[in-house]
Amino acid sequence: MRVVIADDSALIRDGVGQLLAARGHEIAGAVADADALLAAVDATRPDVALIDIRMPPSFTSEGIIAAGTIQQRHPDVGVVLLSQHVDADYALSLIRVRPTRSGYLLKDRITHMDTLTEAIDRVARGETIIEPELVQLLVRRPATKSRLDELTPREHEVLSLIAEGLTDRGIGERLWLTPKTVETHIRHILAKLSLPTDASYNRRVLAVLAYLRNDHA
Amino acid sequence: MTVAFPRWVVVAGAALVAGWLALDALRQAQLGVDDAGLWFVVFAGWIAAGAVVAVSRWPERRRMALLILWWLACAVADDVGVAWPGSRIAATIFLLALAVQPGAFAHMSLAYPSGYVRDRLDRWFLVIAYGLGLLWELPPALFADPRACSGCSPHAPSLLFTGHTFDLLPVGRVFWTGFIALGLAFIALLARKLRHSAPGALRTVFPLALVSGFAAVQFILLRIAWLTDWNQSLSVLDWIGRLSLLTVPASMAIGVATIRRDRGAVGDLVVELGAAKPGDVRDALARSVGDPSLELALWIPAEQRYVNERGVTVTAQADVSGRAVTIIGTPDQPLAALIHDVSLVGQRPLLEAAGSAARIALENARLHAELQAQLVALRASRARIVAAGDAERRRLERDLHDGAQQRLLALGLALQLLEDNRGDPGLLAEAQRELQAALHELRQLARGIHPAILTDHGLSAAIGSLADRSSVPVRAEISDARYPPAVESAAYFVVAEALANVTKHAQAQSASVMVTQNNGHLVVEVSDDGRGGADPADGSGLQGLRDRVGALDGRLSINTSATDGTTVHAEIPCAS
Repeated sequence: MRVVIADDSALIRDGVGQLLAARGHEIAGAVADADALLAAVDATRPDVALIDIRMPPSFTSEGIIAAGTIQQRHPDVGVVLLSQHVDADYALSLIRVRPTRSGYLLKDRITHMDTLTEAIDRVARGETIIEPELVQLLVRRPATKSRLDELTPREHEVLSLIAEGLTDRGIGERLWLTPKTVETHIRHILAKLSLPTDASYNRRVLAVLAYLRNDHA
Repeated sequence: MTVAFPRWVVVAGAALVAGWLALDALRQAQLGVDDAGLWFVVFAGWIAAGAVVAVSRWPERRRMALLILWWLACAVADDVGVAWPGSRIAATIFLLALAVQPGAFAHMSLAYPSGYVRDRLDRWFLVIAYGLGLLWELPPALFADPRACSGCSPHAPSLLFTGHTFDLLPVGRVFWTGFIALGLAFIALLARKLRHSAPGALRTVFPLALVSGFAAVQFILLRIAWLTDWNQSLSVLDWIGRLSLLTVPASMAIGVATIRRDRGAVGDLVVELGAAKPGDVRDALARSVGDPSLELALWIPAEQRYVNERGVTVTAQADVSGRAVTIIGTPDQPLAALIHDVSLVGQRPLLEAAGSAARIALENARLHAELQAQLVALRASRARIVAAGDAERRRLERDLHDGAQQRLLALGLALQLLEDNRGDPGLLAEAQRELQAALHELRQLARGIHPAILTDHGLSAAIGSLADRSSVPVRAEISDARYPPAVESAAYFVVAEALANVTKHAQAQSASVMVTQNNGHLVVEVSDDGRGGADPADGSGLQGLRDRVGALDGRLSINTSATDGTTVHAEIPCAS
């Protein structure tokens, strides 16, 4: 797996690079800002770009804008965005500019390399990943809770995992369920929430996230 | 002051003078008398009075000067009959002039100084006076042939003469009696007018009323003399009549002069107001216009209402009869209203001048008070902002010290232990947990200082994130528009503090946040359905918000009730 790392902190660039290399990833480039990132992606065509959301010059949402540009130029290059913010709007704006092969994770995850490498692998496979802490925030907020009253506890768990971007198979593995059971749960959930049951995997993540976010759908 | 004679005054005055001089020359030639000197003085007095009234500055001068001219024309016209003794037209004009003279005189006196007869009783009196005069001269017009009467003045019968004549003396006696009653009624009306005048108006009205009353007494005595054939007194009464004719214009000029003098008093008023405290302005005004009952109503344009000097709402209407309202300014854009005695109506120039002078003082006083209040509030809020800043720093220091710093210390300790005790999985997991917790706390702390999402994605997203973290369901209606950073910050912290209070105190089932833009203001409203009881005075949170909003020239209000919950409403000026 070939990875480009973009972070303005050299310590984090090198540290994460070493840790990923130790786990068998090839570091195709390590850069400090969005322009260098785009140049590196153009030059090396990596499998995944691991991007800090805040980069020079303004240290706001450069990562998201870069993700949009990568989407236009190289839709097959996965993007994992590392962020300090547990705010749904950041994740939603990423998913909107980049509906597939993208991940929104808390930067804390770099201290937990297994989670990070798993995320990189899944994004490279074409999945979408949303930070579990953010999904938990959305699922537990009172406005959402009342609207999820009709779901069973198990369906609740499944819903959270859909929002985190897990595939049917991934959910089955996480909850020790057969693919058929998972499929049934998902159909029930989407029907109860009046969401389209036939949506593709990626559209499903966005639909569920938007549902959790939107108070008065 | 430049005196601008209206052109019509000059023309009418010149016409009267020329007409009268010609008539009088004819009259003297006919009667063989030479009394031009006396009549000239009388006449000149009248012309002078008319001119004084005409050039005065009060709004009804035109009307009043017309009434004087009218009376003067009636008085002059009776010379016509004598000037052309053989003319029947001249004789008719002579009778007509005699007929309307009493009415015209009463009309002028009662209308003075406004030129209008507003009182119903006065109006009825004038109808009767004119009517009685016309009726009185009807029998002579129809049945008198003065050619047969050697002592009578007009020497031709009127145009209405029927050809029949008979002794008109008994009819004359009836009318004389009627005129005596009319004269008494006139005196009564004058007395009534004086009694109802405010002291300020009295100064203007009194001289004329006195002289008019005097003329009326002469008028009555003359009729009594005719009734009783008391002929010795006739020449005396005639002289008294001439004297009163002379004093009437003089008294009118004096009255008008008092208005001018009172307007001079406005100058004193300005001086007095300069030293007056707020609240004394009405008193000073009342003194200067001479009406102790005067009420003052100030127009507050922003609130479209009148208030008195104490700020209490009042209506600027004459709710009681005998009261009148003078608006200072225009009816569309009033400055103030004076509610005063109706007798001051004729003194509008004085009222307006005094009102305008007082307005400046009142405006000053109000601005001064407003400014003082703002200064006091500003000092207090500045002190609070400094205090709040200090408190915030102390809180940050404590949070960093007790939170993240302790956890990082624990992490360092764990790493040290790991070095000594390689491969202990428990220690490693512990270190990971401490690290995660430290990162979490730092994240919370950073968000509390200033949420990045507010800068990056604006108010809507930031308030959305607040709603995500609230313990009660929050309905939010916010547009995605961006505003200046200071405005967004203030609005955000209003919502954050209000929602935090909802969570902590309100026991609410739900809350709603509305952010709209209205009239150059960002309007933020946070309401809940809880048990109310929010008090900006206790706890620094809401007061801090008020300062924050106030620093941007905005306003924050809190409505709280046990039944309707709490609503925090903020309006922040935003130029977009």
